[in-house]
Amino acid sequence: MIIIDAILQGILMGLLFALVALGLTIIFGVMDIVNFAHGEFLMIGMYSAYWTSLLLHIDPLVTLPASAVVGILLGLASYYFLVKYLLRGPMIAQLFGTFGLMLFLRYLAMFIWGTDYRIVQKGLLVGKSLSVGPFNLDWTKLSAAILSLLAFFLVYNLLHRTKLGKALRATALNKEAASYMGIKTDRMNALAWAIGGGTVGVAGGLLVNFWYVYPTIGLLFVMIAFASVALGGFGSIKGAFFAGVLIGIIEMLFPIFGHLIGSDFLGPHFKFTVVYFAYFIIVVLRPQGLFGWKH
Amino acid sequence: METLKDAFDFRDFSKTERIVFGLFTLFLLIFPWLGAGSFVKVVLIQFLLFSLFGMGWNTIGGYGGQVELGKAQYVGIGAYTVALMMVWWNIPFWVSMPMGVLIAIGYSFIIGYPLFRLKGHYFAIATICTSLVLQDVFINWKLVGAAKGIEIPIREQPDFLYMQFKSDTYYYYFIMIFFFVAILYMNGFRKSKLGYQLRMIKDDEEAAESLGIDARWCKIKAYSIASAFVAVGGGFLTVYNFYIDPYSVMDLDLSIKIALMAMLGGAGSLWGPIIGAAFLVPLDRFLGSWLGGHKGLVGLDFMIYSTLIMFVSAYQPRGIWGIIEQFRRKGA
Repeated sequence: MIIIDAILQGILMGLLFALVALGLTIIFGVMDIVNFAHGEFLMIGMYSAYWTSLLLHIDPLVTLPASAVVGILLGLASYYFLVKYLLRGPMIAQLFGTFGLMLFLRYLAMFIWGTDYRIVQKGLLVGKSLSVGPFNLDWTKLSAAILSLLAFFLVYNLLHRTKLGKALRATALNKEAASYMGIKTDRMNALAWAIGGGTVGVAGGLLVNFWYVYPTIGLLFVMIAFASVALGGFGSIKGAFFAGVLIGIIEMLFPIFGHLIGSDFLGPHFKFTVVYFAYFIIVVLRPQGLFGWKH
Repeated sequence: METLKDAFDFRDFSKTERIVFGLFTLFLLIFPWLGAGSFVKVVLIQFLLFSLFGMGWNTIGGYGGQVELGKAQYVGIGAYTVALMMVWWNIPFWVSMPMGVLIAIGYSFIIGYPLFRLKGHYFAIATICTSLVLQDVFINWKLVGAAKGIEIPIREQPDFLYMQFKSDTYYYYFIMIFFFVAILYMNGFRKSKLGYQLRMIKDDEEAAESLGIDARWCKIKAYSIASAFVAVGGGFLTVYNFYIDPYSVMDLDLSIKIALMAMLGGAGSLWGPIIGAAFLVPLDRFLGSWLGGHKGLVGLDFMIYSTLIMFVSAYQPRGIWGIIEQFRRKGA
């Protein structure tokens, strides 16, 4: 019973991990850049949801558009002011460039808001839970999971059903050929950053309902997102989805597994270590991931 | 013998470079008598230490062109070996430090073997992951002090065997000796077979393999050399600070700083990591002490620091040394 409960909780958490990974995998797929600042985008999304709900006295769920807008603007600004120039350089410069962005956003947040841990305390759904038989599911997590599914559905359809999405995918497959076909690849790159920033902003807005926000939270989530993206295959949306859920389940099951076999060493403090370790094993054994098409 | 001669042979550098290097050596030698304050001395020790780290990183990251972001785990291995041997068995520094280096080399082969199946982004993230896993293990491992870390017992008398001195000047000279040994080694490495092989791999891995170079094995070798360098620095860190914990010696920030200094100075050149450290360590320290002390200005030093990182990555990825070479080419 405890295992089924853990799996359910893991799926809910995993859907959110998947939403964080979605933006990362789109950006990587389109322009081969790993965005280290992705976790910091999440952090900013969390803060913007927190502050809008606190200052305007509205429910944290209503603030999601604000988080999305902040995320999109952040993504666009990063692209036009930094990433555009990084694209000319070698890979190591690109890595350090987004890494610099990560440090900048993190310490900017620390500078403005300090190192306090903050969480949304009031809200329509905060603290309430839904009982299904013997299981208790927090409404905050449940709604986050549902909205994450919705976001995935929208982005997937945007990429596969519209002309814009077709142009984006064409850019991802072959930038030069796409530009010969009259696609403005520069704009497609910007679009990828906007989608990436927007989705992770929404994820932040959902997360702040049940997770403390503080300036250095980004690293944990960006590593989880890296692991999901690597597991699903760099650049694959379907992959990011299933890998995110899988990682959510692993993260919830692992402490229980340690508890069952009575080992202190496999306690809950190692649950994210397992995620890092899983990344290492996955990329070594199957570098293209589960659904990867880019290598 | 040939390699030893290579190490002391600086003739292929231009005259200006040799003069600057000579003056710099002289400055380092007489520095403790110039009457500078203790803060400046601490900054200079940090500079020498990070140059050592950076030169180590330069073998795999600079000459080999592999984006390696997990060097902190080897700092940790070096530091913990020295600390634990000293606390548990009372073993002197000069025995435990080489042990730490050997353990780091052994560990780097174990990690490096699967790691170098990977390339590019996959490799970079995987190195971060291995480092984070080891840090997490040390944070939770009660036997080695867990998150509290380890303190070295302080001796009453200064002791050369255990590297405990009352004055920073002694530490300064010891790290300076390591620094110069590292420069000589790197000067030899640059001209060694492995050095040329690595540069070939960096330029075109497939071409290198078609010439019969075992790229993966070369990278593993360079990786373990880098790890050995860094482990020496880690051992020094233990006896210098008297205290280590997983956050100070194994943090991701440390890995990044090491790679960043080498890159900012100019990866793949002998002087690059030294220039980078000479630039970033004082900046880091002075900004930290000026701004960090004020309440309400927390984080501003890192914001300046990170702006610099972004700027260099966007405009001159070859670092300060790249800028210097650009000017020289224009002048010539």
